[in-house]
Amino acid sequence: MAPQSPLDDRRPAITPQLALRVAMLGGVAFALFAIVFFRLWFLQVLSGEEYVSQARENRVRKVKIEAPRGDIVDRNGTPLVETKEAAVVQLMPNELPDVEREIADTYQQAVSAAERDRLAARERLRALERRERERGKREKTRARTSSALERRQRRELRSQARRARRVAVPPLPPDAVEARRLYQRLSRVIDLPESIIHKRVVQQLALTPYAAVTLKTDVGRGAYNYLLERQTAFPGVRPSKTYIRSYPRKEVGAQLFGTLAEISPQQLKLKRYRGVDAGTRIGQGGIEQTYDQWLRGTDGFTRVSIDAQGRPRDEIEPTVRPPRQGNRVRLTLDSDLERAADRAMQEAIGRSKYAGAVAGAYVALNPETGEVYALGSYPSYDANLFAKPISQEKFDELNSEERGAPLFNRAVKAGYATGSVFKPITALAALASGRLSPGDVYVDTGKFCLGTQCRQNAKGAIYGATDLVKALRVSVDTYFYNLGLRLNDAEGRPLQTWARKLGLGHPTGIDLPDEEAGLVPDSKWRNGGFAKYERCRKKRGLGYQSQAALFACGGIDRPWTAGDNVSMAIGQGDLQVTPLQVAVAYATIANGGKVVRPHLGEAVENGAGALVQELGKGARRRVRIDPSHRAAILEGLRESASAPDGTSSAIFKGFPGTVYGKTGTAQRPPNPDQSWYAAYVNEKNRPIVVVTTIERGGFGAETAAPAACRILSKWYDYNAPCASGTAAQ
Amino acid sequence: MSLKTPIQPAAEPPPGPLEPRSFHLRIDPLLVVAVVGLCLCSLLTIRDATADDVAGQPLYYVIRQGIYCVVGLGLMYGVSRIDYSRLRELKYAIYGLMVGTIVLVYALGSAARGSKRWIELPFFRFQPSELGKVLLVLAVAAFITDRMRRFDRETTARVLLLALFPAMLVMAQPDLGTSLVYVVGVLALLFVAGAPWKHFAALAALGVLAVTLTLTVMPAVGVSVLKPYQVARLTAFLNPSANPGEEGYQQQQSKIAIGSGEKTGRGVEQATQTSLNFLPEHHTDFIFAVVGETYGFAGAALVLSLYALLIWRGLHILTVAKNLYGALIAGGITVMLLFQVFVNIGMTVGIMPITGVPAPLLSYGGSSMLVTFLAIGLLQSISAQARETAHKKGRAPLFQ
Repeated sequence: MAPQSPLDDRRPAITPQLALRVAMLGGVAFALFAIVFFRLWFLQVLSGEEYVSQARENRVRKVKIEAPRGDIVDRNGTPLVETKEAAVVQLMPNELPDVEREIADTYQQAVSAAERDRLAARERLRALERRERERGKREKTRARTSSALERRQRRELRSQARRARRVAVPPLPPDAVEARRLYQRLSRVIDLPESIIHKRVVQQLALTPYAAVTLKTDVGRGAYNYLLERQTAFPGVRPSKTYIRSYPRKEVGAQLFGTLAEISPQQLKLKRYRGVDAGTRIGQGGIEQTYDQWLRGTDGFTRVSIDAQGRPRDEIEPTVRPPRQGNRVRLTLDSDLERAADRAMQEAIGRSKYAGAVAGAYVALNPETGEVYALGSYPSYDANLFAKPISQEKFDELNSEERGAPLFNRAVKAGYATGSVFKPITALAALASGRLSPGDVYVDTGKFCLGTQCRQNAKGAIYGATDLVKALRVSVDTYFYNLGLRLNDAEGRPLQTWARKLGLGHPTGIDLPDEEAGLVPDSKWRNGGFAKYERCRKKRGLGYQSQAALFACGGIDRPWTAGDNVSMAIGQGDLQVTPLQVAVAYATIANGGKVVRPHLGEAVENGAGALVQELGKGARRRVRIDPSHRAAILEGLRESASAPDGTSSAIFKGFPGTVYGKTGTAQRPPNPDQSWYAAYVNEKNRPIVVVTTIERGGFGAETAAPAACRILSKWYDYNAPCASGTAAQ
Repeated sequence: MSLKTPIQPAAEPPPGPLEPRSFHLRIDPLLVVAVVGLCLCSLLTIRDATADDVAGQPLYYVIRQGIYCVVGLGLMYGVSRIDYSRLRELKYAIYGLMVGTIVLVYALGSAARGSKRWIELPFFRFQPSELGKVLLVLAVAAFITDRMRRFDRETTARVLLLALFPAMLVMAQPDLGTSLVYVVGVLALLFVAGAPWKHFAALAALGVLAVTLTLTVMPAVGVSVLKPYQVARLTAFLNPSANPGEEGYQQQQSKIAIGSGEKTGRGVEQATQTSLNFLPEHHTDFIFAVVGETYGFAGAALVLSLYALLIWRGLHILTVAKNLYGALIAGGITVMLLFQVFVNIGMTVGIMPITGVPAPLLSYGGSSMLVTFLAIGLLQSISAQARETAHKKGRAPLFQ
């Protein structure tokens, strides 16, 4: 510490100079306060009345001008999502026929009555359940006995509590001539049946009584101009402009973008939507949601003076702040590859020998950076369907299982057993934990028995002496069963640990909302679930492994056994993995230990194309993978796709580059097998990992491998034949 | 500096009479009255103005501001317990902290309305330029104290450079109002320290030259120092009726709000300027207009009186400080507060341009509240130290 200068500890006598200056400061302060006081006196006391009348006449209204959202383009700048101006036809609420308002009131009352009934049913159901619970508590030892009547009652209540009964919109009464005539004429112009016009008017009036009723979005230019020119002939009808999304490449990447909808009351409270007004349409789901803050523009406004009748006063010039369009988001996606992948899936599904094969998923990403080149679920749908209000029937159809649920993005939201594509992970876990070295030979007899339960290789094959490379090349199940058994009692559960290290069992962190975490089963999970099952089963007095217990207490009806680890070693059992997680795991093995965070966003750009913000950087983990272990696994994968007896070599015959690939065939009883393929290729300095899977696709080499081959062939501009093979799984 | 000082520091002062310290004397009660009064006015006004701002949570802003008040009062009391003189040793660290946090805003500040001023913290948005106001006074007062022995042109120039560097950084954020507060604070330090009149005359000439350059010459050659909206605000104030645009509109609405309050105000229900959102930023920059509309001349005069009390106590503490460092800090803080009060209220009544300077202890905002409490804590510390020193030497303070 420096010695303090004596100035510091000496109390200065107030020098005349300081006194003068403090007095001057005081004088200035006094003067400033005096100025403000007199100004206030002038404003509030002397001219207060004038300002009061100004405040009373202050009828300025701010009218929002919606800002268009930014576009979404692919890595080459091809537009995927654009904003276009669309004409809407609206009915002004104050000029609607009174009869509609009455009908809307009746309808609203009926709807609330239905909702009240639903709530009442829910209350009754709760009471019933509580009573049964308590009865069960009192008679601890005896099984809960509910009569058939009670059970039926409960079933009915449950369905009533779930959904309010539908209320039909009352029809337009015959004496509402005026409204009927207007609707008739409108119906011809905008090509919408009268009954639908009536229904929309009533439903929207019931919901928001004072807002304009939107009859149709994106009406044709002809109809728009016709209505615009004949305003007097159509009282209360207002044609105006709004912005809607358009998707020039239709189904390409449709599941990735999400839709737009008005911000919900819950979202309004979130920090990330600070500054967003109620009624603003924001991204809901997908890229639109993740990058909403960049895509959303800044709304403008007009400030208009309004007279006592609520009409804009012409003599006063309105002030305007023009809206600003949102930024453009550039994706890492390659839309041509995405479309090629869609086609490859379609073709592969057509080749499946099983009936009902409709759906699959694919992922293609850069194993070094995590840039996603293609990602999606087949079947896709035309994204333009969601640019306008969609009918319930159409929406249900897009969700139906039979049609492959096009809205569902399997690549990130579906957890599956992976079958043999999991084997490299098992191999890595065994090598890293020291339980295996690449040269170890296992003699396959075609059978692997654990206790009394024996498992065979696919198609009953017998392979004899097998080392790691051969085991991966021809996919020897018994070799990996053996590893699974040996790893079950190994210190630290290496199989589970390595699966998690490579990104399984938790979300990959891709920039899409609601990603599936998947499940890496272990003894803790299964034994915990079983303990819960047993408690629940005993409390209700249900039989062990009985169907009633299954429904009431969940499906974990036995503790963990070595067999569970054996199943997991070949990607079966309770394992749940998304195609994207498989891609991340393969990327990690391929790049030598970088667990990338897959991302679709590449950059945010402004209107002039200048970079505003880079996306997707940062956040990746490293795991230590011994180079010799990696080399052994890659060698097995290479031979699998190229050696004469490799599982997918027939498909990649004629493919110019080196492919490291693995087939997979996941059993999903009672459904037919699911086909998988995972591949890594690093040609032309454009490394890529491709994962494909097809539900009900059969063996990996039958459908998924040809699809992956086509995607790779497109990526490298090869013209590979990708002939379908019938080799073993 | 101190090493050159010929006089050796005195040895440890002989232990004073071991009587219990009289704690009740150690903070200035009138200053506390002013601060608490302003806080209450702030909470009441924010409640009136923001009842409909956050759907379903009419007390959203009131609760937050209440927390800032309580935390701030604690902070003020805590700071009043420490001996501010020790901060002199830390002048480099304080100056570095100020510049560092302001620069940090550029690195990770979140963009809001075209300006980067905040760092997102888990609880609130921290605005380093607010904290910089107090840090700048602490650091520059220390530099001046060190150079007291030769108050020549060089000293004045150095001190001004020390102030202009952070002021430029803040101005580039862009936050014109806060950077002006910096400059005014440092000018006040020079004034209290006794810089020669010649220097102020030269500075005034330089200032006129700089303003002419930024407003007329530089735009003419194509270099714009101020953002367009800043120019619009500055000019709108000069000629409000000819400005139907956004800037003139805000000030016009603020004047209507205050004027319509008349003598006793329109009451919460009738205050249409506030409740119908004609008044912009009604809980932050234009909060005084809400006071004026809701509680009229009576309410506005009460708030002004509390501010006057605050400034008077600040100047009083300046005169009793036990050392020059304390007197300088008190002067700097008091003049900064006075400047902010005048600029903010002047803006709402239409005699000053719109600069986005918050009203101390009245406007909603965590950074501004906490920093003002910190500054007042320092004033309390100076007051407490003065009393204690006087007590030890058996002298009563000049006047009580």
